[in-house]
Parts: sequence; structure tokens; C-alpha cells
Amino acid sequence: MIEVTELTKRYDDVTAVDGISFTVPPGIVTGFLGPNGAGKSTTMRAIMGLDRPTSGTATVNGRSFRDSPAPLTELGALLDATAFDKGRSARNHLLALAATIGIDATRVDEVLELVGLTDVARKRAGGFSMGMSQRLGIATALLGDPQAVILDEPVNGLDPDGILWIRTLLKDLAADGRTVFVSSHLMSEMELTADHLIIIGRGRILADLPMKEFISQSRHQHVQVTSPEAARLRDLLVGPGATVVSTGAGRLQVEGVDARRIGEIAAQHQITLHQLADVTPSLEEAFMELTRDSVSFHGATTSTHERP
Amino acid sequence: MTQTSTLEVTTPSDVRTPSPRISTSRVLRSEWIKLRTLRSTWITAGALLLLIVGFGVIAALTVSGDMPSDPNQPGPPSMATDPVSTVLAGANFAVLIAAVFGAVVGAREYSTGMIRSSLSAVPRRLPVLWGKLASFGGVLAATVLAGVVVAFFAGMAVLDASGEATLGWGDDGVARVVLGTGWYVVGLGIMSVAFGFLLRGTAAAIGTVLGAVLFLPTLASALLPDSWDAVLKYLPSNAATAFTSLTSQADSLGIGAGFWVFTAWVIAAVAAAAVALVRRDA
Repeated sequence: MIEVTELTKRYDDVTAVDGISFTVPPGIVTGFLGPNGAGKSTTMRAIMGLDRPTSGTATVNGRSFRDSPAPLTELGALLDATAFDKGRSARNHLLALAATIGIDATRVDEVLELVGLTDVARKRAGGFSMGMSQRLGIATALLGDPQAVILDEPVNGLDPDGILWIRTLLKDLAADGRTVFVSSHLMSEMELTADHLIIIGRGRILADLPMKEFISQSRHQHVQVTSPEAARLRDLLVGPGATVVSTGAGRLQVEGVDARRIGEIAAQHQITLHQLADVTPSLEEAFMELTRDSVSFHGATTSTHERP
Repeated sequence: MTQTSTLEVTTPSDVRTPSPRISTSRVLRSEWIKLRTLRSTWITAGALLLLIVGFGVIAALTVSGDMPSDPNQPGPPSMATDPVSTVLAGANFAVLIAAVFGAVVGAREYSTGMIRSSLSAVPRRLPVLWGKLASFGGVLAATVLAGVVVAFFAGMAVLDASGEATLGWGDDGVARVVLGTGWYVVGLGIMSVAFGFLLRGTAAAIGTVLGAVLFLPTLASALLPDSWDAVLKYLPSNAATAFTSLTSQADSLGIGAGFWVFTAWVIAAVAAAAVALVRRDA
């Protein structure tokens, strides 16, 4: 169980996280979704005790992670895939960390096997590819057989096989009763793994709801209508159970009346239609819509890198 | 994957053996594994040992060749004036290597990113610093101690073989100078680890230690008027001169005072590193 209460983190004059509160319960995969620069990494670093909150608290199993009697068994983290020394072998890296809570080489070899690095475990990690580094990061997170895991963009750099493996792993960990908190800036990735969604934008929580609810909210269809007589058509369509929103000159967005019925009404009243289309927004679009106003870095065509 | 739920694990009745718990001694073991699994540790330690012994013996050979018997004959300006300084000539270079060694140990995790893994495993943070200082201090002290002792006996043997003046281990102040020189090298290494943590960059830490600690005193005494000498003698390297030389100079601190002033500098650097480590975002 991870609890974040009124957490605020300011770096000089930039407010990265602004008074957010949420709970990550055990037994399910909780997705932490937000555009680049929304405050995901800052929040995760605050939970890990790597960043000190400006105000507010973050607790793991009811206490600050700093006070954990056995940190690696309580919370394992993958915050970035390069948090190891390239001059040391993967096995020695894990052995050194395992030693902090007195766990031995048996467990180290077990996690190496689990992430598929056994063959290269004794080689210097400097030669690791992005995918192998990511796997070593995941091995580090799982080393203490932790009750909770925090993974920041875990599928970065993995091939399709690796991505599939991560998804299965996350679900297995949750099914085991563990707390699984995983961030991504891709809705499509969350859709496949997360049971619950916490959406963050510009340092504030925009939504905190079960995945199913987000889907049912987002997947409601509407009909896009374009007509030179939009105002007249709107008056005809408005009624019990129907909402009509004017989205521009001659454009209407209609909910509660299907396209066929709209066409019939228009024909009855001899209203010309230029467009009549069913629209089902994808989750990605729903997410984009939700976070549109809170994207920190607008590029010309794409958004820029996340602040490290 | 043996735990089944958070609740179960935190219930007091749940007894698991052996219990994985964090402790300072376990973190020390972790830091020892980190130190010994880097090739650079052993290369640096080997270089240090070779340098202290090698330079001591070479200095002794040079003295034997250049200055046969007359102690009044002036030698090269940088040449040591007593047999103990001669055989410990390597220590002047050893402090440079120790400073680099320490800076690397202190700052390396920041430049590689390893620090985030380390502090995630040890969120209390301070044990990481203590573990690093203890394991590094142990390796450095063993290397330097072996170096100065071997350099002393080997160097004296060389001097003795060519009929030069020698001093024995039991002679007045000799053991103090040999061990004091060792402490100077180790102390500077420890200061460098502290600066590595403080500045979080190897280059910056090396620059600071070599610049501020080793070169600044020389520069300051050359540029500042003599009235500043009363202050300058408290600088780390000047304070160390008091307990690393056989004969005390008029304007330097006493042996005991020099030792404590230098040691206080080392402790101050470590304390600053500890405060920075705990306070700052990792």
C-alpha cells in the first residue's frame, strides 16, 4: 500500500507536483499516466525517498520509506534503467545491493534467471544494450521479493517480446497480492496492463478511477454533424436524453441520438447535411483530451523529452 | 515470490527466517562488495603501493649516489634533508593518487547513476557514506601502511648498504613520522571521498582536493604577507607538515596540535558530506 497525501514538490521556482493525494492499493496494477513533464517521476522519487517533498507526505505500508526496517523487501523500484555502475557485472551489482538486507547469492541468481540475464551476469554491465539494462533494472527492483514495486516507464527500450514479458510480470505480481505502481505516457500501454488509473497533468491529479470506468466514460459514442442549418437542426434534436454541443460554425456534436435518427429528422425537415458520422474516441484520444491543457512542453509536432 | 499479501507480511504472527533486515554492518558489507568488484580499486591500490615503496627506494639510491658522505654538501633543492624524509619521498606523490582514489570512490556513484539504486536500497542514506568510508579507508590504510613501512625498511637498507646515515624504527620521532605520513595520505583520501559526495563529480572533487588542500597553501604563503602565517599553518597540508617531519619548523604547529588540526579538517569534510547527503535530493 502506497499513500501520497497533499504532496508538493518545488524545484526552485518550478512546481513539479502540486498538492496531490492518492492511494495505490495492493493486489491490482495501478497505472500512473500523464504526459511528459506531468510530475510522474517526481512523485515516484518522493515515494522512494530520493526527493524530499516540499510539503506533504508519501508513505509505504503506513510509514515513510526511510524508516523501513528492510527497504528492499518492502519496495522495489525501477526509476531509470541506468542506475548501475558500468564497470561492475550485473551479478556483483545485485550481490552488493542484496547484502544491505542480508540476502544471499541464491536470490541474486534467481532474479537473474527471472529477467533472463543469467548468461551475461558475470560480464561487465557496460556492454549492456538498452533492453538488457532495463532487465537489470527490473532485476534490481525484484531483488528483495518486495511487497510493492514502482516502475517508471518499464517498457522503454524493450523489444515486443520483452514488453509482453513485462505485462505478464506486472499482472502476476499484482495477482500475488503485491502493490504494483507503474507509470507510462502511453494510454495504449496502460490499457493492456492497468486495473486502475491515476492520471496526472501539470503536477495535479486529473483522474483517479478504475480502468473499466475510464473506458466506459471515454467510449461513449457521439455523432458528428455538419450542416449549413446547424442551429435549426440543433433545436430539432434537443430533447430528453439528447445533448447537442455546437463545436464550430455549422458543426454539432450529438449524444443520445444515433446517426440514423438524425438523418431521418434532417430529411423530414429538409435540412441539408454535409457530414453525418459516428465517432468512437479511442482511449488515447480520451486521455489526450483530458490532459490537453496540462501538457508542459508543446513541440511543433511532438512533445519534447521528459525532465530527468 | 513467497509473500502473498501486504497484510500477512506485516502481521506480527508472520515469522519468516532468516529475516532480511537492514543494518549498518550489512550496508558496510554491501559497500565492501561494491569496492572490491571494481577493477580500478585494485589497480589504484597497487599503483599506490608501488609508488610509495618504489620512490622511497629510488630516493635512497639517488642520495647514496649523489651525496657520498658529507652531510654539509648541498643537494638538489627538492631533495630531502633527513633519512626518514628520503625513504618516504613517495608519500608526496601518494597523496595525489589517494586524492584521486578517494574522489572516484565518493563521486563515482553520482556519475554512473548507481547512487539512485544505492539510496533506494538504503533510504536512510548515511550508512552508505559510513560503509564507503570504512571500506575505502580500510583498503587505503592497509595499502599505505604497508607502503610506508616497507619503504622505510627497504630505503634504510639501501642507505645503510652504501654507508649513508640511517635512522632506526625505535629512534626518536621516527615511528611517529612514518605512521604520521601514512595518516596524512589516508586522511587526504578520506577528505576526497567526502568532497566526492559533496560535489557529486569526480573531476570537481579531485580539483578541489588538489587545489584547495594541496596547492592553495603554497600559493597563499607565496602571495600573502608573512603576517598571515599564523593563519596559514592551520591549513590541512601545513598542519600535516607538523607531524610528518622529523624536525619541527619554527612557524609550524606542534606535533600534537598539527595532528588534531589535520584530523579536525578530515572530520569536518566528512560531516559536511553527511549533512549534504541527508539533506539533498538524490
